Amino acid sequence: MAASESSRYLARSLPRAFAPSARPQSICLRRNLSDQASSKAAPADLEELESTGSLHATPSAPDAVKSFDPISKSRGRKKQLPRSRYQFRSPKYDRGPLHPHQPPKPSDPSSRLYVPGPFSLPRVEQTYQSTVTSDILTLCYVHNPPGFKPPPKAPRLRSWDDSSPYHKNRPLRGPRGGDVLRLLRKPINFNNIPKLERITIHSYVKKAAQDNSSWLHVAGMAVQAISNARVETFKSKTSVATWSIAPGRDSVAVKAELRGEDMLHFFGKLVDVVMPRIKDWEGVKGTSGDSSGNITFGLEPENVALFPEIEVNYDMYPPKMIPGCHITIHTSAKTDKDARLLLSALGIPFYGKMVD
Amino acid sequence: MSSGSNGARRIASVLRPSIAEPQVCRSCHETLVRRNYSSAATQSSTESISTATPAYPVVKPVYTIKAGVLLSRPPQITRDLTPFEKAYYFYQRRLNERLALPFTKYFYFKRGTPADEDWKRKIRERQTPARDIGKYNAYSKEAWNDELLVGSVESEPEHQIEMLVQDAEATVNATSQDTSKKEEIPRPFPRVTEADKANDQKSLNRALQRTLYLLVQSKEGYWRFPNSPIAQDETLREASERTLAQAAGVNMNTWFVGFHPVGHHIYNNKKFGAVDEATSTQHRGEKTFFLKGRIMAGQADLTNNAQNLKDFKWLAREEIEQYVPPHYYSYIKNMLADR
Repeated sequence: MAASESSRYLARSLPRAFAPSARPQSICLRRNLSDQASSKAAPADLEELESTGSLHATPSAPDAVKSFDPISKSRGRKKQLPRSRYQFRSPKYDRGPLHPHQPPKPSDPSSRLYVPGPFSLPRVEQTYQSTVTSDILTLCYVHNPPGFKPPPKAPRLRSWDDSSPYHKNRPLRGPRGGDVLRLLRKPINFNNIPKLERITIHSYVKKAAQDNSSWLHVAGMAVQAISNARVETFKSKTSVATWSIAPGRDSVAVKAELRGEDMLHFFGKLVDVVMPRIKDWEGVKGTSGDSSGNITFGLEPENVALFPEIEVNYDMYPPKMIPGCHITIHTSAKTDKDARLLLSALGIPFYGKMVD
Repeated sequence: MSSGSNGARRIASVLRPSIAEPQVCRSCHETLVRRNYSSAATQSSTESISTATPAYPVVKPVYTIKAGVLLSRPPQITRDLTPFEKAYYFYQRRLNERLALPFTKYFYFKRGTPADEDWKRKIRERQTPARDIGKYNAYSKEAWNDELLVGSVESEPEHQIEMLVQDAEATVNATSQDTSKKEEIPRPFPRVTEADKANDQKSLNRALQRTLYLLVQSKEGYWRFPNSPIAQDETLREASERTLAQAAGVNMNTWFVGFHPVGHHIYNNKKFGAVDEATSTQHRGEKTFFLKGRIMAGQADLTNNAQNLKDFKWLAREEIEQYVPPHYYSYIKNMLADR
């Protein structure tokens, strides 16, 4: 009995000893100061890594550079390449995930949804990264000593006091002094520094309903010119009897929404070219803002004409038809105070009473 | 945030016996012991426990508290693009030229005007409405050949600026009435200044793409940020403003960012001083807390400085490393901007 037991263990353990294990026993990964062999082996592994980053151009062989001429090579070709070699067309319709012909990703230039860009590294973005973020972080720092516990806050939605049997299963009550739940402001730290999210340019042209649609066309062209984005038109939602505007009938407004590079270039032009040239302008009112970090201000028609894109081509616009517009700057700040801190750091002046 | 209430609070905190641990500073301690009315009743009992004196004398280390100034000039111009970024942006521009709708010429140029003639001549030359992507026809049969060959300069920003300026000059000369004189459009200022070429480290016009920091040299030859001990009843902000005025003069328009320090430096003396028997304290060294400042205009001036300084320099991050000792740099390096 005992002999058979041991032989069974032996039979089980023998193949284990000879089997190739996933962890090689001979090479010890731990390196000590004393064993020289493994420390010598390390640089040999590192040699396979590229010594320079991929951001630097590697010089090519000079003769290969000289002989490379794609145009003459294609012209010298006797027979044309098959179309599939140079012309890929993304399928026009989505035929489901099981169809063999799938459209490429929207980031692929051959996709129908591809939008090229970015084309530059905007200056506003660089200023924001290099100067503004660190200053905002310093300004918004709140020191909490070790051992500090913030006082407990009341719940944002109040419960009913159960004084009446009808309170059962009611939804919670809103905050005191108004039904609006404000955004929660978290303390600002390195990963929630306020930044620009988007800019909306909106222009309400009342003459478009009174006269003819040319007012709206000119307004759209002007807004497109200053924003580098396609505009949308909107019909009136409200009735204004004195301007003879009926809801749902008259297209009266154009709007452009800017994000990313377009937004930053527009912001740069606004702050550095247009705003310094506005006559007798005190700045953006301190009371402006929707109390959740978005600031709006207006530009008169003569101020819109100061944008370089309109100024260079001023004669092509009917002079009285250049529209005024409202510009809303949406930031990721949760309160107007933080948004104003960001915008004034980026160069927008504020005046008057500041309302948070 | 009025100073009156602050002062009253400070006096109150001095009079009140200390109950917190010694590593918490005075103002923080004030924050901790400020209580609601509800918890005021429990306060008296905790005080009576903690005021018992320890049985053996403990030597308290004492440091000189100093205020330092991290005065910086932010980057003035955009940074140079990497070769990869240049190539990428250029590629995207040519791609956009292929994918965008054609340029609506009739909106911008009235037929028969000099500007229209000028436009026709230019479009014949460069085959594309964009002025900075080189000679490239996005609608031709060979539009696929949109990649640059080795050694071509079209993706360089200097070349693109030159092309834009030449284009503007051609337009001005073609549409002006006076054909006898050629107009010159001013080029942008160079990105490398005279101070860069001369490596004038006292100039604020140097290294326009980088953040520069003010360093001063003491009579003994050590390079440091300006600093001085905080006087009695002086806040850190007031002390650092005074330090800057004493060290580098008042001929600077500066702005201090906030009231909190952005970094600190601890210096321990090689030999500790004698233990003061009366207070059982021992002087160990000095601690410097740096407040961040920005210079808007002006220049440092050491002629009437009150801190025995002999020289100053405006240095970028890597240059600071060569001037200050490694121990000092290990403390300050994380408060210096990358760019």
